Amino acid sequence: MKRLKDAIDGVDLNRFRIWFQLAMFVLLVYGGYLAINLGNHLPMFACGFNQEGRGGICYLMPLQHQLARPWPQLFGMASLGVLTGFGIFWLWFIFLNKGWCGYVCPLGTIQDWITALRRRLGVRYARYTQDQFRHLSRVKYVLLALMILIPLGIGGGWFSRDMGTPFCLICPARMVLPLFTGDLSHLTVDFSSKTAVAMTVLGMLITGLFLTGAFVKKRFFCFFCPMSALHYLISRPALLKLRKDGDKCTRCGDCYRACDMEIKAIADDVKNADIMADDCILCLKCVAACPEPGALKATFATITIFESTEAGFIKRCQKGIGLDQPKR
Amino acid sequence: MNFDPIMGRMTHRFAPVLLLVSLASGPVTALEGGCVLWISDTSPMRAEGAPARRGGGMGGMPMGGGMHSGPPMKRLWLLSGTDPQKAAFARGDADASVETLLVTPSKPEGESVPPPGEGHRGLVFEMPAQGFYRVYVTTRTLQERMLNLNVAKAEVGNFGHDGDEEEHDRAMTAPRALENAAIEIVRERQPKEGPFSQVRSGTEQSFIVLRKGLPVPDARVRFVSHQGWSKEVTSDGQGRARFQVVRDYFPPWGEFQKRFKATYLVIAEFDATEAGNHKDQPYTSVRYQATLSGSYYPSPEDYRSYAWGLGVGLLAALLSGVATYLYRRRRLRPFQEVRLDEKA
Repeated sequence: MKRLKDAIDGVDLNRFRIWFQLAMFVLLVYGGYLAINLGNHLPMFACGFNQEGRGGICYLMPLQHQLARPWPQLFGMASLGVLTGFGIFWLWFIFLNKGWCGYVCPLGTIQDWITALRRRLGVRYARYTQDQFRHLSRVKYVLLALMILIPLGIGGGWFSRDMGTPFCLICPARMVLPLFTGDLSHLTVDFSSKTAVAMTVLGMLITGLFLTGAFVKKRFFCFFCPMSALHYLISRPALLKLRKDGDKCTRCGDCYRACDMEIKAIADDVKNADIMADDCILCLKCVAACPEPGALKATFATITIFESTEAGFIKRCQKGIGLDQPKR
Repeated sequence: MNFDPIMGRMTHRFAPVLLLVSLASGPVTALEGGCVLWISDTSPMRAEGAPARRGGGMGGMPMGGGMHSGPPMKRLWLLSGTDPQKAAFARGDADASVETLLVTPSKPEGESVPPPGEGHRGLVFEMPAQGFYRVYVTTRTLQERMLNLNVAKAEVGNFGHDGDEEEHDRAMTAPRALENAAIEIVRERQPKEGPFSQVRSGTEQSFIVLRKGLPVPDARVRFVSHQGWSKEVTSDGQGRARFQVVRDYFPPWGEFQKRFKATYLVIAEFDATEAGNHKDQPYTSVRYQATLSGSYYPSPEDYRSYAWGLGVGLLAALLSGVATYLYRRRRLRPFQEVRLDEKA
């Protein structure tokens, strides 16, 4: 048992993550060709617009559809459907917590691929200042609020139905993921109405920004993702947790430097045991980068499944622990 | 033996040949417009082409929901005329005999329902289960020594997004024609069509004319679009007639609705030399006429521009890329050599 634990703690996490993400990407983007259907309540961006190959559908799409129902329906029997849908989404979510973002989300995987390309080209990455970080991390909550309020407004007759699923219309996953199955039809501007023009132009603008942003900034879009905000709001009972033992932390800052999301609290906070911040994607790179035995650990239903060890740290150091070192 | 997706059973290849024996081919004449009966889910009094509300739509969602409790209801109208926009409520004919049959997922053999008549022009029925519901209104009238036999048919889908996949699959593979229908038209499904699929303008759509479940070759089949454009062809050896669902919705840009629900009407007709009695009156020939209506919507490709989409996306990527590059350049500090005066 101890040998198994040592093997897990000493795992080359980056390599494991690359292959796991690739497998999940194939499952969710091409799974439909193999008649795989994980349902339409998945807690990450398995885009429903990827009609041919999708192996499941992101929950935000049906949620917006449901909330856009006429109010008499929505606040009548249809509310049961909304609650049931949310319940299924929650059941999916509690297994992996925000690990859905770090290990499963196809859009997150694409951003990691773009980051790998930048690293190969030797271009240095960008970082936010702490002030920028603080302000920008609120954007996802604003998007989440709009994503709920606009469909409700559509159901109440305040907004045009052309806004349909407003977040999906501006989400880069709608434009990017169908490309992998040869569907280019979302790279368009819809001139059928003024609302459609506005939303599709905004969608293409954000897609352009996404490509540039993901190239210069790790996990650029995750910072603004309303799914990430929704995850955090319901994450307390989740089974997968990131925990920290502040007594063992030397505040060396390795975890902060390894963090794609630039969460400084992971290094600074030595008081809270439950260290997962709202921007965290539970990639566990911080655990892999920590040299202090037991200072950082991932637990599943309170059972430690992966923790920082000196041996694991040294082993990973010999292979490179994932700290981004640009050539120039 | 072949699997027949229309009848939902195995069929013999030579089935159409048997039919040829039973039919006498008549001269191909133009379809007569005035007495064509068909079923629509849009009342002639309703605003033209208004977008289908949630729950509207032939082959789409049922009406109902909202404050209505119980299973979803559907109301259909028996209309007369060949122009979908100008058709009026069918008038009652004292000499005609009318039978109405409702085929439901639980009763694939059909059950009789009261025909539309005085005081209730619409056909209203409940749709308790998910699946397709078909209504057949069969009218027989005698004109001199010819029996006019009209079968107006409508197919309505009742599906919810929360329904389970097995139920959907069952509905999609259920038989779509009646073995004892005097004549009927079946719309052939598009490849990969699902319960929520819609017919879009611009697509090619084929229809099969059946009599007692067997294909009818050489029937005159006419497709009438929402705006009244029509085309007539003769069914092939498999009873199949193909049409392009033309785009005929060209409103001013500000009035365009991409959920505009248009109605098409398909009329199939052929004559047969058959003798018999109708209401104790003898006839020597029968004119079979079948109608089927459905909805179609603007193509999703309409009003979409790749040039603009790619242009906007590339411009955003380019501008943000250049801005990032310039920002980084501005923050570069030029190398400055610092010399220390060791003597000082």
